[in-house]
Amino acid sequence: MEIGRTLWLDLTLAGLITGGMYALVAVGLNLQYGLMRVMNIAHGEFLMVGAYLAYWAYTLTGVSPLLTLPAVFVALFLIGLLVFRLCFRRIARASPSVEVLEARSLLVGFGLMFLIQNGAYLAWGADLRGYEYLARPVEIAGARFGANRLVVFAFAVGVSLVLLALLRFTLFGKAVRAMMQSPRGAQLVGIDVGLLHPVVFGVGLALAGVAGALLSMIYEISPAMGEPYTVTALIVITLGGLGSAPGSLLGGLLLGLVETYGTHVSNPSMKMLLSYGVFVLVLILRPRGLFAR
Amino acid sequence: MSAARAVVATGAAALVLAAAPWLLSDFLLSLTVACLMYAGLAVSWAMFSGPTHYLSLATAAFFGLGAYVTAWGVATLPWALCVAGGGLVAAVFAALVGAAVLHLRGAYFAVLTFGLGELVRHAITYFEKSYFRTVGRVLTKTPDATTVYLTVLGVAAAAVAVAAVVRASRLGLALRGIGGDEERAQTLGVSTRRMKIAGFALSAFFAGAMGAAVAVRWTYIDPPAVFNPFIGLQTVLIAMVGGAATLGGPLASAVVFSLFTEFLRLRFPYAFLLVLGTLLIVLVLYLPGGLASLVERRRPAAAAGGAARGAGGPTRG
Amino acid sequence: MTISRWARIAVATVLVALTVTPALAQDPPVRIGYAIARTGPWAAGSQVTQEPNYLLWAEQVNAAGGLNVQGKRRKVELIGFDDRSETDTVVRTFEKLMGSDKVDLILPPWGTGANFAVMPLIQKYGYPMLAPTATGRKLIEMKNPFFFALLQQPDRIMGALADFLAAKGAKTAAVIYVDELFGLETVGALETALKAKGIEIVDKKSYPLGVKDLSPVLRDFKAKNPDAFLGITYPPDTFLATAQAKEVGFNPKVFYVAVGSAFPVYKQRMGETIEGVTGIGTWNPKTGGPAKAYFDAHVAKFQKEPDRWASAHAWAGLQILQQSVEKVGLDRKAIRDHIAATEFETIVGKIRFKDGENVTTPGIVSQWQKGEFEVVWPTDRATAPALFPKPVWK
Repeated sequence: MEIGRTLWLDLTLAGLITGGMYALVAVGLNLQYGLMRVMNIAHGEFLMVGAYLAYWAYTLTGVSPLLTLPAVFVALFLIGLLVFRLCFRRIARASPSVEVLEARSLLVGFGLMFLIQNGAYLAWGADLRGYEYLARPVEIAGARFGANRLVVFAFAVGVSLVLLALLRFTLFGKAVRAMMQSPRGAQLVGIDVGLLHPVVFGVGLALAGVAGALLSMIYEISPAMGEPYTVTALIVITLGGLGSAPGSLLGGLLLGLVETYGTHVSNPSMKMLLSYGVFVLVLILRPRGLFAR
Repeated sequence: MSAARAVVATGAAALVLAAAPWLLSDFLLSLTVACLMYAGLAVSWAMFSGPTHYLSLATAAFFGLGAYVTAWGVATLPWALCVAGGGLVAAVFAALVGAAVLHLRGAYFAVLTFGLGELVRHAITYFEKSYFRTVGRVLTKTPDATTVYLTVLGVAAAAVAVAAVVRASRLGLALRGIGGDEERAQTLGVSTRRMKIAGFALSAFFAGAMGAAVAVRWTYIDPPAVFNPFIGLQTVLIAMVGGAATLGGPLASAVVFSLFTEFLRLRFPYAFLLVLGTLLIVLVLYLPGGLASLVERRRPAAAAGGAARGAGGPTRG
Repeated sequence: MTISRWARIAVATVLVALTVTPALAQDPPVRIGYAIARTGPWAAGSQVTQEPNYLLWAEQVNAAGGLNVQGKRRKVELIGFDDRSETDTVVRTFEKLMGSDKVDLILPPWGTGANFAVMPLIQKYGYPMLAPTATGRKLIEMKNPFFFALLQQPDRIMGALADFLAAKGAKTAAVIYVDELFGLETVGALETALKAKGIEIVDKKSYPLGVKDLSPVLRDFKAKNPDAFLGITYPPDTFLATAQAKEVGFNPKVFYVAVGSAFPVYKQRMGETIEGVTGIGTWNPKTGGPAKAYFDAHVAKFQKEPDRWASAHAWAGLQILQQSVEKVGLDRKAIRDHIAATEFETIVGKIRFKDGENVTTPGIVSQWQKGEFEVVWPTDRATAPALFPKPVWK
């Protein structure tokens, strides 16, 4: 099979775009885990909620999902604060060790997953829904891509870069990084954990919602759509190195590229084998992910 | 409770439960099978993940492998061989995989084991598709319901008995030591790598045997049905809610959980998961030590490994 | 004085009770049980195609006074449970319904896997089952006397497709198919059918359910320029393939996507894009008198349209059940025998079973034209002529 130069470009761009989607889905989860060691396994469900919000906004009022994004962000942020206050704060305080915290937050995550999914089934029904937005093709370097996919890619990269900049250059970001490195040390220098935790948790959830809203432009939505995205997010952040923001961006892009090249050379059926195979291999060779600190 | 007493108690309970096919309706018998299945899965999961704190999400992989051994073999091999074979294949897989990945810790290990489950699922799908031009398998020559029930009962009872013996053995001690402080255990001369692999493989054996036994109930199996991640998640849930470090916790939790969820499902045909999810959250928030801690509070001194207190040891990453 | 007053009240009460009671002493309802996916991966299919029909049918039957059981009218009571898309739960629930609760009749769960699981049970307990969402040679080969498959089997569907392609002069085809039993079996049937018509398959690729990007495959296909694109796909991939074929500018003369093309959400989501897309469908509101009434009733109750393929087969199954109960009552063995031996008039036309397979409904190719999924092949059942070649993506 001949692989010409334009085809390489096609594949690379397609891979980066898919990878960008993966990275976008993962960024919120990474923030939560990196800071608080909370493995929010209900992550995909909040993504789903964001998707439905964008869907309803578009279907009922015709407002573009891009314009609804800030509203989705705020809504999910507030939900995040509430969820943290009700569910995770108590665990964070009462757990004697990090492992126990992880274990308990996992259990609570399951509970949330059941609750939100079933709530969605009751509220919106099990049917697939969808709409088409910005689906017209755009030409880049001779290859055609859907405009909505390019928008998602741009957001993925943009959000990741903004997050990185925030973490690096602002006082808030420094506080978060300090908390990640040494919780006790951070408290000793006066960083308010009680404020930081819910805010970061809320931002993580908000980013999940935004990812969902963007993805709703491209794929159908249903109450069950969240779980595969949770899995993707987990794989991406583990691959990139838990807690590493650049890691999850690069991990996502890498995964996208591997899938696209791999399925072209062999068969789309191999896609899953390749993704998981690469994942397992990377972790065997680098047990803390590609870019762990 | 000493290991010997636990084994005897398990045997006695198994004898009593063995009468079920002649006493219960088909539906109640199936419900009992479901309870026993999760009892076996949860207890064997807790055998390894309880003391070591290595949260494994690979149960679905082991279960599915066992199911496929039955799928491939039930028409030609004797039943006992299918079940034992399912367990063995899962155990060998766990040993091989464990050798490669048991140096990972915490969340990395958990996510990786999950990924393994999916990898096995897709590998089997691909293999079946490429060589046998099929995806699912129809199981027509299956043993009767009573045999299946007694097999599931046997596997569950064996899992409980072995778990009790392991707890009292050197392996159990080593696993708890690894869970407490792995580096320290190593310096004290424990061959942590071998112990971990042994524990992981042993726990996988029962998951595989259970998968092999249960698969025939479904007549048609395909990768998504037997490598269903929900089976693995529910196992972990049950064990942790029960108190993964204890023996009786996961067992009691499996029975209560299975019966309770069935009751909820029949009572709330539309909102059952909502109720379940809420109860789960409430449980974790207000009873963080799991169901076992309810018993523990009355007998604080007797709790041998304790409920999920997880004390001691530096932070793991 | 008080005693006789009490006595009069007592007598009056007894008299009233006697007159009222005969009216209250109605026949017990006909209990119809089922387990179906309301949550989990199967729910998207079952809640579009199957369960709404059960609910609508029960409502209509009761509104008309009840189910006609050999002349006597009895209300229908549906006893439905969520099987959570889990095979073990399906088995357990049907054991409860048939073995413990001993319901009068049962309705099938959704999907081939769940129906397989119920097969041994319906034979053990003797309940006939008309399944609208189960396909596969293996099911039919089990020769279960209580099982009746309502959908056209893959060989018929693909045969019709091949005939259609040959009639339009298509010479080459590129195929993708999903890594599931349906995909594998259907693609096997497709290869046989195309070979018989002398149509060449220039490329064939399979993909896993849940794939997120088919554009590399579609770009390849575009380069090979086949006359027809044949996608043996499931709903999410049906949408994806359509959207991405448009994205990459792949415009074959025939664009066929199997499952999901008949769903109303396909039209809602993709809008004008789907003009000229072909797929599996059996009916639309124009295929005959009762079809429109059914369509309207469905929309009125659920504010959503029924799908253009299996929904009608589900409804037909209920019609068959209803007609059988009217004729032979609630003796399940008699019902089974009646279904096996009779040709029924249903919303999708005549249905007759041979060895558990619906042998009268032919394979059908439908095509989206101006917002309706018109039947275009075979020509004697067509509701509109086919658009060939498919117009360029809008």
